[in-house]
Amino acid sequence: MTDTSLIRNFCIIAHIDHGKSTLADRLLEATATIDARNMVAQALDSMDLERERGVTIKASAVRMRYPAKDGLIYSLNLIDTPGHVDFTYEVSRALAACEGAILVVDASQGVEAQTLANLYLAVEAGLEIVPVLNKIDLPAARPDEVADEVVAILGGKAEDILRISAKSGLNVEAVLEAVVRHVPPPAGDPAAPLRAVVFDSHYDVYKGVVAHVRVFDGAVNAIRDERLRLMATEVTFEPLEVGTFTPRMTPVDRLNTGAVGYIATGLKDVRQAQVGDTITHVARPATTALPGYHVAKPMVFAGLYPTDSEDYIGLRDALDKLRLNDAALVSEPESSAALGLGFRCGFLGLFHMEIVQERLEREYNLDLLATAPSVIYEVLKRDGEHLFIDNPADLPDPSHIEAIYEPWMHLTVWSPDAYIGPIMELVTKRRGDFEKMEFVAEGRVMMTYHIPLSELIVEFYDQLKSRTRGYASMDYQFDNYRAGDLVRLDILINDEPVDALSLILHRDKAHTVGSALARKLKEVIPRQMFKVPIQAATGGRIVARQTVNAMRKDVLAKCYGGDVTRKRKLLEKQKEGKKRMKRIGAVELPQEAFMAVLKLGEDS
Amino acid sequence: MRLGACTIIAPMSSQALLVPELPAPPSRGLGIYVHIPFCVRKCAYCDFNTYAGLEALHETYVAALCREITQAAPTHGHRKVDSVFIGGGTPTVLSGSQLARILGALRAGFSMVPDCELTVEANPGATDQSRFRELADLGVNRLSLGAQSFQEAELRFLGRIHGVAELGTAVDAARAAGLQRINLDLIFGLPGQERVAWHRSLDAALALAPEHLSLYSLIVEPETPLAAWVASGRVAAPDDDLAADLYEDARERMAAAGYLHYEIANWVRPPVAGEAVDAWTSPPGASRHNLRYWRNEDYLGFGPGAHSCLHQPAAEGAAHQARRWWNLKSVPEYIRRLGAGQEPEDQSERVVGALAMAESMMLGLRLVREGLSWAAFQRLHGVDARECYAPILAELSEWGMLESSSSALRLSAKGVPLGNQIFSRFLP
Repeated sequence: MTDTSLIRNFCIIAHIDHGKSTLADRLLEATATIDARNMVAQALDSMDLERERGVTIKASAVRMRYPAKDGLIYSLNLIDTPGHVDFTYEVSRALAACEGAILVVDASQGVEAQTLANLYLAVEAGLEIVPVLNKIDLPAARPDEVADEVVAILGGKAEDILRISAKSGLNVEAVLEAVVRHVPPPAGDPAAPLRAVVFDSHYDVYKGVVAHVRVFDGAVNAIRDERLRLMATEVTFEPLEVGTFTPRMTPVDRLNTGAVGYIATGLKDVRQAQVGDTITHVARPATTALPGYHVAKPMVFAGLYPTDSEDYIGLRDALDKLRLNDAALVSEPESSAALGLGFRCGFLGLFHMEIVQERLEREYNLDLLATAPSVIYEVLKRDGEHLFIDNPADLPDPSHIEAIYEPWMHLTVWSPDAYIGPIMELVTKRRGDFEKMEFVAEGRVMMTYHIPLSELIVEFYDQLKSRTRGYASMDYQFDNYRAGDLVRLDILINDEPVDALSLILHRDKAHTVGSALARKLKEVIPRQMFKVPIQAATGGRIVARQTVNAMRKDVLAKCYGGDVTRKRKLLEKQKEGKKRMKRIGAVELPQEAFMAVLKLGEDS
Repeated sequence: MRLGACTIIAPMSSQALLVPELPAPPSRGLGIYVHIPFCVRKCAYCDFNTYAGLEALHETYVAALCREITQAAPTHGHRKVDSVFIGGGTPTVLSGSQLARILGALRAGFSMVPDCELTVEANPGATDQSRFRELADLGVNRLSLGAQSFQEAELRFLGRIHGVAELGTAVDAARAAGLQRINLDLIFGLPGQERVAWHRSLDAALALAPEHLSLYSLIVEPETPLAAWVASGRVAAPDDDLAADLYEDARERMAAAGYLHYEIANWVRPPVAGEAVDAWTSPPGASRHNLRYWRNEDYLGFGPGAHSCLHQPAAEGAAHQARRWWNLKSVPEYIRRLGAGQEPEDQSERVVGALAMAESMMLGLRLVREGLSWAAFQRLHGVDARECYAPILAELSEWGMLESSSSALRLSAKGVPLGNQIFSRFLP
């Protein structure tokens, strides 16, 4: 087995689109881990890497064999980190499995909030940082300036920063050399009891939960009798198989101190092998777990409903399958008077929600309706009872409520200084409190705020992007729960309240949001055979009102002779379009109606 | 589809005793449509299967058409034909002798009743009195003129080959030639059409006292010059609200002139003295041939792209079924196939069960006077429409879209312009 001194565990951190995946691909090619001919573009990024036996297997770590210039052959473990701000915790666990990180910065875009957020995590985790300027062959590249930005953050010398083009392969070898030279080999005590951190996991029908691990102390053998234990969940299991990702799962006899690989646990639920947990031996347990474990808690909730009620079972099965691989996703059956049977789902954040929704629609071919996302409100009732509410429809009658508390976040925005004004305005409009501003590099600022999560989850990111021409980036973390003057806004369509359109918001915004929502609904609800009033109300008081006029003409007055088939087909097409609608009372509502609250634009 | 409520009538079962005696079935008459796929010029909005510039094919086409008619005669010739409609295209681009050969083939192969309705479509710009006389001599007793508009600018926009003046001339000439049943087609809802312009067209058409008027709303059909104009922004898309206004105006004006509205797009001249017209029947001047389509009765179509439909009503042990089929559209291929002794059929479908019932509803409700006959529906499908569509009928009636009598169901005045919304609800 490889000597620890010949192991390097590292990850790549970058802002989205700065070239992380492309660089990973080039490293895999350069080390002949995957040859260019068989290379699926962006191998590490792809969830579909292997679809053997119908199971998606993700390679969140790849072992590469690299003969360095010093004549030695190194084992380089590249550990993938999730790219979205919602997965900060997962990122921190992946970083914990490394000794070094390649920091990729786009030579034209410069440092961005996400780069920085992950960089801070990496520095906190004590990683050695290897900065790299990517895309230096782009005409818009300004490597000298961006190098200065990087130096301003990391220190060091601008001329030491590698300049590469992952796309063309320029200087990629130099990156591997830098990893070997700058990233320290793993420390750890081979003689101590086993301690391996779980930094990711996936579900395999035959092997159960496969924990992706980094061994810190001791070693784990592919011997079933050497039972293992997860220290946080206190679950024990037999190691069915241990191995490394090359990038395919390749069994080995033993994972030594410093190694990165996997342990097939045979467990049936990914929640039993949580990211951040420490694996040790039952017979010779470690006394303390590795630090940093906590359970990922969903922050954002939304109802997911099949457009066609017959797809309910399909949605249930799809959610079950996704949950096999996604410990942070929660779902519970829910029924809505308006939408029928569906699921209340919890997500780490809005990006996580988008990813899940997209996968359900694309991979499982489901047509879904999502209600407006909500956060968890803590409600203190007059009778002293405490409630946690993730669905506006469940909010008790206002007369029973003593106080409502909502989650606030700590928000960091990173932007060129030209957009300070528009960003301030946006955050203030969204009830955010300014905390501080720092000039982190020439012409670039970092602003921090406190802001209610409910204000972040609806359209905030899009608004931030549009107000800054796409230049600003953001990161957020949970701060605390604070009391707020919150009310429920109900929408009545044709005099019937539509529970799925209710939302909880600040009292001061009820009128503007109610008006904007009623206007938007008027736009998206097609004319019906009769007039349809739309009303927005809080506590029984109407705050806004619109009317969808009755349809006036929809009839084919054209002679198609005996071509009845064609006439019928036209009507069938019309009817097919209606199937995608949800019927509330006598009114047919298109899917857009349920998304209306997400598309209020500047109005909100 | 809520078929759960349906009672399938099985005459041998005890249930049959509960079913009132059905009226006698109508004479199983047959209508024949003959397609002439030629035009002098193709209009900007037209997506029918018709072509300009195929003069060289006229002669061989007529031969092929006669052959198709003759081939079909042994199978269907025993049926009594009571309506023939020669449409297109512009049938009058053919010579009198060519039309005579077509009618000759029909008469030789089929038994036509003595008062058979025989309609020919004609373009007012390409027909003079001698042509009308030829038609009358051939037994044509109904003429359908594609007037489309009485506004010069609109005629030019539509790509018509005639002007306003020729419209009056054509009607006079047709009457002088002895053609006593004349229909005028008009199109409304042209982009940006002024209401007053439409009123003028209507008034001008009414001044000619046609026996029948068809008022069609302009529909932008894909792959027409009009569709390209709309797509490129050269022309505004027709506006539904405007079309609704124009249609309403037409209904009022036609009623004021005493015309009877009997189908969504069709009106008949005021009843003459002594003619009793029941509120729930289509008036005597209605197009017998088109009534066939709407009553979901049998017809054969000859010529490229022509559609045929034959029904087999529900009978002991067998559910109703309809077979509909249509010919290939290409004129040269049609000629080639018939020349080779082959069938010109392109595709067919069998319409049964809930779909066939929905078609009966969608067609029958287009007849805004007589409506859908409960008895005819039951005769064809063996079930009572009032039962199997009960929830849909209840809702639509509640919204004021339908009205019914003990014998039939029809659209209300409010429901007429929303026909598609109503028809589509019956589809399975």
